[in-house]
Amino acid sequence: MNTLHRGYSKVTNHLFLTCFSLLMLYPVIWWVGASLKKTEEMRLPTIWPEVAMWSNYSKGWNFSAEFSFGHFFANTLMMEFWNVLGGVLTSAIVAYGFARLHFKLRGFWFSILLLTMMLPGQVTIVPQYILYNNLGLVDSYIPLILPHFFGGGAFFVFLLVQFIRGIPRDLDEAAKIDGASVYGIFLRIIFPLIKPALVTVAIFTFIWSWDDFFGQVLYLSSVEKFTVGLALRMFIDQFEIQWGQLLAMSLLSITPSVIVFFLAQKHFVEGISTTGLKG
Amino acid sequence: MRGDGIGVNKVVVSKTSLLTRLSRKKKVNSYENNLAGYVFISPWLIGFLLLTVWPVTQSFYLSFTDYPLLADPVWVGVENYTKIFTKDPLFGKSLAVTFSFVLLSVPLKLFFSLMVAMLLNKSLKGMSLYRTAIYFPSLIGGSIAVSVLWRNMFDLNGYINQVLAWFGIQGVGWITNPSTALGTLVLLNAWQFGSTMVIFLAGLKQIPQELYESASVDGAGKFRKFLNITLPMLSPVVFFNLVLGVIGSFQTFTSAFIITKGGPIHSTYMYALFLYEKAFKHYQMGYASALAWILLAIVASLTAINFLVSRYWVFYETDGGKK
Amino acid sequence: MTKRQWLAKGLTLLMVAVLLLVTACSGGNQEAGTKAEGQNGEAGEKSGDSGSKAVKLSIMWWGPDARHEATMKVLDMYSKQHPGVTFTPEYLAWDGYWSKLPTLAASKSITDVLQMDAAYIKEYVGNGTLEDLSDIDLSGIVDPNVIENLKIDGKLYGIPLSQNAGGIAYNKEELEKHGIPLPHQNWTWDEYFDWAREARKKLPEGKYPIGDVTTWDGYQYYQAAYGKGDIMADGGKTFSLDKELFLKFFNTYAEFRKEKIVPPAEQAAAFQENDPQADPMASGVLMTTGKTTGSVSVMETLMPGKVDVVNSPTGPDGGGWAQSTIFLSVSSNSKHKQEAKDFVRWFITDKEAGQVLRLTRGIPINPDIYAELEASLEPKDKLGKKLYDVSVEKALPFFSSAAGYTEWVDAFEAEMENVVYGKQSVEQAYEKINQLGQDLAAKAASK
Repeated sequence: MNTLHRGYSKVTNHLFLTCFSLLMLYPVIWWVGASLKKTEEMRLPTIWPEVAMWSNYSKGWNFSAEFSFGHFFANTLMMEFWNVLGGVLTSAIVAYGFARLHFKLRGFWFSILLLTMMLPGQVTIVPQYILYNNLGLVDSYIPLILPHFFGGGAFFVFLLVQFIRGIPRDLDEAAKIDGASVYGIFLRIIFPLIKPALVTVAIFTFIWSWDDFFGQVLYLSSVEKFTVGLALRMFIDQFEIQWGQLLAMSLLSITPSVIVFFLAQKHFVEGISTTGLKG
Repeated sequence: MRGDGIGVNKVVVSKTSLLTRLSRKKKVNSYENNLAGYVFISPWLIGFLLLTVWPVTQSFYLSFTDYPLLADPVWVGVENYTKIFTKDPLFGKSLAVTFSFVLLSVPLKLFFSLMVAMLLNKSLKGMSLYRTAIYFPSLIGGSIAVSVLWRNMFDLNGYINQVLAWFGIQGVGWITNPSTALGTLVLLNAWQFGSTMVIFLAGLKQIPQELYESASVDGAGKFRKFLNITLPMLSPVVFFNLVLGVIGSFQTFTSAFIITKGGPIHSTYMYALFLYEKAFKHYQMGYASALAWILLAIVASLTAINFLVSRYWVFYETDGGKK
Repeated sequence: MTKRQWLAKGLTLLMVAVLLLVTACSGGNQEAGTKAEGQNGEAGEKSGDSGSKAVKLSIMWWGPDARHEATMKVLDMYSKQHPGVTFTPEYLAWDGYWSKLPTLAASKSITDVLQMDAAYIKEYVGNGTLEDLSDIDLSGIVDPNVIENLKIDGKLYGIPLSQNAGGIAYNKEELEKHGIPLPHQNWTWDEYFDWAREARKKLPEGKYPIGDVTTWDGYQYYQAAYGKGDIMADGGKTFSLDKELFLKFFNTYAEFRKEKIVPPAEQAAAFQENDPQADPMASGVLMTTGKTTGSVSVMETLMPGKVDVVNSPTGPDGGGWAQSTIFLSVSSNSKHKQEAKDFVRWFITDKEAGQVLRLTRGIPINPDIYAELEASLEPKDKLGKKLYDVSVEKALPFFSSAAGYTEWVDAFEAEMENVVYGKQSVEQAYEKINQLGQDLAAKAASK
């Protein structure tokens, strides 16, 4: 291929990607505009407000007399830290077991794992709440964090199983010949190789637990423990919604997810091709 | 050991599916193998036994009761199930809506997100920014802003109709018209393709570059590389996205809940929304539990079919070394 | 390394993971533990001063932030006045509240004191969740007639907090602009319908005099106005949906749909009450809309100075409603029922508390407290008060669905939606709605 052609295709790629990105970013632009509007202005189709109401942000941030939004962000990030840590660590361990090791009832347990995903959560909420309530764990983050330390959920285990099964078994065999045990193979070969998939687990764990409103509303009852998601709902009352402040704060509330995604996606750049594995 | 032998010459290989492989008895199940296996799956197993078993069995028991949630459950035998199958028109209706949703949205989302992932897999300057921008719609998930935005787009006086008006076309109220409402939800679902796309992207990154290089040496074109290398190497991930897409779509709830409330005239009355309303709006948790177990049976059968069919098109590198 | 060594290493890794988990959990526990200890200690000290036993009441309510802040202050005030009583408050927005409460009920962990709404109270009473409060002495605080109206099967399950009413808000500015006579006090249903027909002639395209009706309560007040009473009477054991009135009412709306007196289905379905963009009235599409004392103030915020109110259309027996719809109730599982009852009585009696709570739960039920606040009302509060005042003369009782009927409420709306979208006739809808109602009544009667 000649360089001219390559340069040309690069330009078209950039052009296309820019247009596509702008299209996908349209909601943000709309959102930023709407978050600066007065309530009365909300119904106008204009994107940008006549006068930008920056006070939507300052008032929204300090809407509660007791706690600022910073407090709720800190709560949520603390919870997220444990969720991501638990999810990444344990899902990889469990997935390796299912993908590479042969043990009794493996097929049975794997089917069970998949089945747990298929029962709609709405019907286990109540018994689960009763369980945690009897254990005295209600109004704490434990019911929200704990599941992440038990394999992080069937979704992630299955995801990693698929990735591990995509890794050539030659690598394992070679390590085995070198005297490595299954634990060694996991630690030194599999774990580093599934890094892109683990990054995916981390991103999704972060974003999805940020969004898990129903779990948070059930298990966190004192305001001092509120997450950002719960605090946002305080702008919505039976009749009246504080639109400006709600949109302003919910826009801020997704920024950690955007940052996490932006930082984490870089790891997709490193492929498997550079596997200079040590023996 | 050097990394030069990573299956370059034996790309694709055995056509064994996960299910058949899992069910097949392998070698001797020595004590050590068993121990290692259970050590590795123990985090999940312990969590399952401690936190999942009881709520799940409980919900199965409740499906045979009349449970108004505010008072204690009363055993009614199979009454809930007979009522669902013989007397409740909403069961059939919501199931039909959900099936059309799954059939439309799963392939659309798979295709769209694979195409975008291929595009974002290139090495270009500023790719981080493109990726983040394109992932953005998936970040806002079930946020209340989405419902406002979607209304602005698809309302009778929304942006879509304004654009159509330039061409002299009189649009409808897309969300409030019974024949188009489900379509807007399918579109919303496809628009939030980010998670599926990210998984594809991670999968693409795992394909050894050497494969493409040696294919280039053989004079393969772009399309042939896609067909002979990308698709087979990516097939475990495609399979994952398909299985999870089906499972997830059957449980679609948020978009119907916040945007259409299941309307108009039940045209977007998703099964999960039906179930939710039975449980938490009508206080019929027993009935809702029965609905949940029926859904489980349906989705499990479809997933089993998916696994059976997968042996014909999903390729696992894993088995390469064995042959 | 040998296999055994690797095994040991793997196990260590697992141990580390478990350890992390344990620290995570115990960290949370410790926090909660010390916190609870601190609070108990405080309570203990106070009780030491007074010599009475320490009681910790849990209390839960929904609402906007102003209500939360005022309520927190009042709880502190109560603790100071009554040493030994402290509170565990929990507050949520409306949606979160009603999605969480059933789960709390199911796990028998409803708070000692909880805020209740008229739309839900029968469901909770019907399932034995709430304590009978009939023995609380409210003489001189709440009008005995009000109490009588609120009783469910002869018992009082919630202490009323505020006055509420359902009437009609209209866009005064726009009606005057188009030369349409303003609605008048105590108009009848026939006058209401005729007014709509006349107004249609004067309004430009895209604007409509009144909205469509698909909900059961939209019809209930019509049936009651003509003397056919509560659809779900006797706690749901008697079901009576009057066929003649039902057909007359909904056939009128069918005519209105043809005449474009009500907006088309596709447009009506996109309405979102109280939303700045999609509210039927604030968006300028509807000239009138049904509102309550609580919700009409939002209209004043969205379209300041343009809105006025009138009572709901009436029949021989009256029209609309005017009554308290927000209560404080006590859980039947509470271990401190007496203390809880003392508190709820104090909550509507204490003048100092009234000054702090102001109108955060609507127009206070206690006339003495309201009198002290009257001078400082804002325009939006005044509009709400006016709606109450115009509605009270002809008011019918407030109708809410009986326990076990939420399913019917949804079915009613779904069947009427099918009529609106032209999928079935009014008569077909009647048959289905009536059948389900009769089934539910039979079920309720057999219990």
